[in-house]
Amino acid sequence: MKKFAIENLSGVIASLQQKGKVFAPVKEKDGFYFREIADPGDATLDFYNTVMSPKHLFFPQTEDMIKYRINKEGADSAPVPINSGPQILFGVRPPDVRSFELMDLLFEEGGIIDPYWVDKRKNTIVIGYAFDSVDPLDFYNTFDIHAADPRGSDIFMVRKDGTVLARAFTGKGEALLDGLAGLENASAADEKAFEDAVKKGPGLKTRKLDLNGVAKKLEAIFDAPYWQKASMACLNCGVCTFVCPTCSCFDICDETLFRDGRRCRTWDSCMFTNFTLEASGHNPRTRAFQRFRQRINHKFSYYVSKFGVTSCVGCGRCSRYCPVNIDIFSVVEKAKEV
Amino acid sequence: MNQNPYIPIPVEVVKIVTEVDTNDIKTFRLKFLNKEDEERFKYTPGQFGELSVYGKGESPIGIASSPTQPGYVEFTVQKAGLVTSALHDLEEGARIGIRGPLGNSWPIDFLKGKNIVVVGGGFAFTTLRSLINYMLYKDHRSQFGNITVIYGARNPGLLLYKEELKDWEARSDINTIITVDKGDAGWKGREGFVPTVCKEAAPNPENSVAVICGPPIMIRFTLPVFFDLKFEKPNILTSLEMRMKCGIGKCGRCNVGSKYVCKDGPVFSFEELDRIPRDF
Repeated sequence: MKKFAIENLSGVIASLQQKGKVFAPVKEKDGFYFREIADPGDATLDFYNTVMSPKHLFFPQTEDMIKYRINKEGADSAPVPINSGPQILFGVRPPDVRSFELMDLLFEEGGIIDPYWVDKRKNTIVIGYAFDSVDPLDFYNTFDIHAADPRGSDIFMVRKDGTVLARAFTGKGEALLDGLAGLENASAADEKAFEDAVKKGPGLKTRKLDLNGVAKKLEAIFDAPYWQKASMACLNCGVCTFVCPTCSCFDICDETLFRDGRRCRTWDSCMFTNFTLEASGHNPRTRAFQRFRQRINHKFSYYVSKFGVTSCVGCGRCSRYCPVNIDIFSVVEKAKEV
Repeated sequence: MNQNPYIPIPVEVVKIVTEVDTNDIKTFRLKFLNKEDEERFKYTPGQFGELSVYGKGESPIGIASSPTQPGYVEFTVQKAGLVTSALHDLEEGARIGIRGPLGNSWPIDFLKGKNIVVVGGGFAFTTLRSLINYMLYKDHRSQFGNITVIYGARNPGLLLYKEELKDWEARSDINTIITVDKGDAGWKGREGFVPTVCKEAAPNPENSVAVICGPPIMIRFTLPVFFDLKFEKPNILTSLEMRMKCGIGKCGRCNVGSKYVCKDGPVFSFEELDRIPRDF
C-alpha cells in the first residue's frame, strides 16, 4: 500500500502522466468534470462528485468510426483505428466505478463485442476514491454499493486527514502503484486506517430503495395512468440521460463537409421524440409519458430481466440536475404503490 | 467474431428493378466486392442488413433474396427517408455498404415438417419472398408440408415480384392466392381484402404455422381470422419493425421491454409479443 500528502497531489498526477493519459476531476465554472489533465495542478480531490459521469472515458459523447471521401462510384472509406493507448482514470466515486461493470454487460452481450468500449476499458486503470460525506439525493446503498466500496477499482483511495491512502486491488493496479514516483510506503497504522475506512463505508447511509418486486411491478403497471402523472412536469430535456453513468443509447450519423466526412456515433436519448421516429412517420413513443416510462422501465425492469441487475447505481445525478426536480428514487418508490 | 461489427462490407449494385408502378419501391441486387465477404455473409430468410450510403447513413432492410440464390443478396426498398431516397437515386454499378446479416430469422427448423401459410400485405412481402423461395428450393421443398401463399396489395400495380408470382401460380407444389383491394381494367384475378381472403381460404390449423407480415391495419383484421380458425399463438409468426441504428443490440433504439427488435427479433410469435409491452 502507498500514500501521499494531499499537497503533493500534482506531483502524483505528474508521475501518473508518465504511464498514460490521465483523467481526473477538474474544477470548472459550474462544478467538477473528469478531464484529460495537461497541467497536473488542475486535478483535484476536493470534490463531492462530478457533474457528468466519467463514462465518456470509454464512451465518448462523439466518437468517429469511419472516415470517408465521396466519389463517383460511392465513397472511399477507412475505419478509424481503435487504439486508445493506456489511460488512467483518477478519483472515481464507488457508484461510478460500478456503472462501468453494468455497461460491460451490454457492450459485451451475446458475444457481440463493441470494440470501441472494450478497447478503452481494457486500456484504462481505474483509481477509485471513497466518499467521506453523503449527498441527500444519492441512493447507491440501494445497489449494495457503499461510500468506501473498493470493488471494481484497480486501485482504491481513501482520504485520512491530509493524507491519501492508496491500495491496489488488481494486478494492473499493483503494477502501476509499485512503480510510481512520488508515493511513500504506507505504515502498518496506515494499513489499518485504510481497512477501517473501508469497513466504515457502509456507516455512511444514503437513501435506500427496496427493489424487491419492482421489476415485475413496473411490467404490471405499464398501462397505468401513473405514468402521465409522474411525468407531468418533465420537459423531455434529456439531461437525466446525459449525466447518467449507465445511459448508453447512441445514434450513428454521417457528417459530410463537401466530399469528406465521418461516420460517428454520438450519445442519444430515449427522452427525445425522434429517438423512435420511423421513416414511415410511425412513432411508438410520441407522448412524453411514454418516453419517461421507457427510461424508468429500461433501468429498473428491462435491464433486470435481461442481465439480472438494475441499470442504475444511485449516483443521484439525474435528480440533482433535473430542471423540474423529478427524482427517480421517488418515481420508483411511488410506482410500487400503484 | 473479431471483426468490428460497425464497419460495412463493400458491395456493388449490379441490378435495379422498379417493382411497382408508383416507382417508389425498387429491388437492389448487390454483389460482394470481396469473395471472402460473400462466403462469410451466411444468412437465413427473415434476417436483415443495414444498407450504408456514406454521407447519408444506414437503413435496416429485410433481405429479399434467399440463401439458395448464391452470388448476390437482394433488398427491396421503399423510398421513404434520407438513406432510402439516396438508394433510389443510385444507378447500376454504384458501390454501397452492407452490415449483416442481422437479427434472428424465420425459425426454419420449427417450420420443417409443417404446413406453412404465408400471408403478406403490400410492401411487407420481402422477407416472406425470401422464405417462400427458400422452401421452394428443390432440395428443401420436401422438408415442408403444404405451402399456401396469400398475398394482397391495394391495386395490381403495387404487387411486388410480379414475374415470380406468375411462376408460383403455375406450380402445383404451392397454393398461391393473389388478391388486390381494387382491380383495374386489365386485372383478371381476385379482388378482396387479405383478411377476407384468408377467411375464404380457411387454412387448416392442423400442424400448420401462419407467417404474417403486413401493414398494422391488415394484421389487426387478419389475426382474428386465424384465431377463429383455431391457430395457436405460438404458431402465428410475424416480423416487427422499429427504428434501428446499430442492429446489434447496443444502441438501445429498438428496445421493447427486455427485447431488442434488431437482435432478439425481428421475428416473433404472437405468444412472445404477448409477453412484451405494446411499445412498438
